[in-house]
Amino acid sequence: MTQITMEDVSKYFDDGETVANYRLNLEVEDGEFIVFLGPSGCGKTTALRLVAGLEDPSEGAIYFDGQRVDGRSPSDRNVAMVFQNYALYPHMTVAENVAYPLKIQGVPPDERDRKVEEAMSFLHIEDQADKPPAELSGGQRQRVALARAIVREPSVFLLDEPLSNLDAKLRQEMRSELKRLQDELGITTIYVTHNQEEAMSMAHRVVVMNRGTIRQVAPPGELYSRPRTEWVARFIGSPPMNLLRGTRQNGSIEFGEAGSVDLRRTSPGGLETVPRGTVSLGVRPEDITVETDPPSGTAAIEGTVDTVEPLGEYTIVNVAVADQIVNAKVSSTSVDREDRVYLTFDDDDAYLYDENGELLS
Amino acid sequence: MSLRDHIDALEADGVAWPDVDRRKATAIVVFLVPGLTLFGIFSVGPIVYSAVGSFFSWDGFTIESFTGLDNWIRTFADPLIVNWDNILRWRFPMGALTQNLLWVVLHVPISTLLGLGMALLFVDLKGRRILRSMVFLGFTTPTIIIGLVLMFIYDPQAGIFNELLRVIGLGGQVRNWTQSPQVAIYALIAGGIWVQTGFNMLLYSSALAAIDPSLIESAKVDGAGRWRRFWDITWPLVRPVTAVVVIMGIIWVMRVFDIVYAAGGSAGGPNHAYSVLGIEVYRAAFEPPIDYGKAMVVALVQLVIVAPLALYIARMN
Repeated sequence: MTQITMEDVSKYFDDGETVANYRLNLEVEDGEFIVFLGPSGCGKTTALRLVAGLEDPSEGAIYFDGQRVDGRSPSDRNVAMVFQNYALYPHMTVAENVAYPLKIQGVPPDERDRKVEEAMSFLHIEDQADKPPAELSGGQRQRVALARAIVREPSVFLLDEPLSNLDAKLRQEMRSELKRLQDELGITTIYVTHNQEEAMSMAHRVVVMNRGTIRQVAPPGELYSRPRTEWVARFIGSPPMNLLRGTRQNGSIEFGEAGSVDLRRTSPGGLETVPRGTVSLGVRPEDITVETDPPSGTAAIEGTVDTVEPLGEYTIVNVAVADQIVNAKVSSTSVDREDRVYLTFDDDDAYLYDENGELLS
Repeated sequence: MSLRDHIDALEADGVAWPDVDRRKATAIVVFLVPGLTLFGIFSVGPIVYSAVGSFFSWDGFTIESFTGLDNWIRTFADPLIVNWDNILRWRFPMGALTQNLLWVVLHVPISTLLGLGMALLFVDLKGRRILRSMVFLGFTTPTIIIGLVLMFIYDPQAGIFNELLRVIGLGGQVRNWTQSPQVAIYALIAGGIWVQTGFNMLLYSSALAAIDPSLIESAKVDGAGRWRRFWDITWPLVRPVTAVVVIMGIIWVMRVFDIVYAAGGSAGGPNHAYSVLGIEVYRAAFEPPIDYGKAMVVALVQLVIVAPLALYIARMN
């Protein structure tokens, strides 16, 4: 198996006019399942293609197990890749598709047949062997692409948004299938997606990317509970974290007529580290409690209910606080539009970001 | 209950659908009549007329008496159509049919390979649009002009081809290429290839553009080198286009006329050295002594070779 290192890797297109990736630094452990997560156009697919060898870095170096591989062809790196549209060869049958990498490697026919059969039964597509890809459903095509990728026992497994063309139910099914596959094979895997649910549910660590750079690398739990920047905080979670702009004044953050929050709550003992001026207070919607009476003894943010969205499993209450909307995710509520409400939250659930969007506490 | 019973039952119920069908049929006929009339007058009519006429003797353009296979036997025995003696000695003229088939054998594979080669070359090249347009220009130029251009290119004094020979030290090979019986046909075929290559390149370019780039990349990741990628992925995917290119090439070459006429006039070169079937039809039909029967037979021979190919293309998916 393989450990991957990216060292200050940048990729420019159009003679440097377009920056696809800028100074990526990343260590992927042997057997790790890493997910590149970010919005469209953030450079995650280019980063994957750099690892695959389909693109060469403009600057920086890529190492597989300490050996520099940038400049080497994809076949020299022993990587397998599953493309977004599966890239099945339309003129070959399913079995021929799966056998193709082995054929290229010059594996003898007997062994090739055995391995193809193994890979196909592993992915439950034995009975599709003689069909052309055009006759398969999306899910079956996906399995063929996976079988073709695992058949040659690669040292690195690269997946480029492999589930984005499937319907919701199938996506969920394939998600657990992929996780099982990775667990059983233990192959170092890099998976690209813009879907945070996929990322959070599958990854050992998530690499959050935006505008060609890495914003945070963390296990899903940490990414959720300690987003290092405002951008990541906004990107992870559904609905995303509420970020309330306020002004830091002596010992508290003022939100105008909506009230204030005592700074000692969010930054115990570290008051002096919090700069004066504009800061953002971040609270996840599920950590907010909506109350109709002013709570006693604890500071609360005051607002007016804008809309109530009952979604069955939970209800989202959108509250207008000063000129911002705050989402609260509650199990049930009796509040109505235009009601005056008080939002409270635990000290541990609040995050403070400075003007540049960096986490303060 | 059989289908017939069903229909009978429907009719008995007084359902009005047969009326609707008749109205539809009328509309279809009305729309088809203009097209079918033109098709009848300009395609079916002449074919039937020639097929029938080829079994009669003619005095100028006037049909005379039924002569059976006489026109056919006379045509195939004519050394201007097939010259067996010269074929065996590989000397031109070998007859228009043989020469026309030689066009097919040389022109079609070479222009097909060149078209594919150029399309592949232009896939990743900068300025490919300009280059592609330049190559395609050959196809958009009227073939009679191509014929005249060839005359200039091959001119013994001012021609660029002979000049090139002199520059690379092959001055001994300098000659009037279109008037040298034993080599002229190759010089003309080269011109024909120039024309057809542009068209073939365009067809292949669009076929290549239609190939999903991730297929090629996937093959790259699978470990396939440049040649394997071409042979295993690209070639099978452009094969249907190859069928079209080859058949269109054969059809074009079997009907070739202008280039030959421009270079060698209605005789098809000195002593008919590079005459083709089209030239023979023209001479038999429009130049004295007029031999209308022969013209019809030669035209039908062209048709018999081309029609099945055209039919194949028309039926392709």
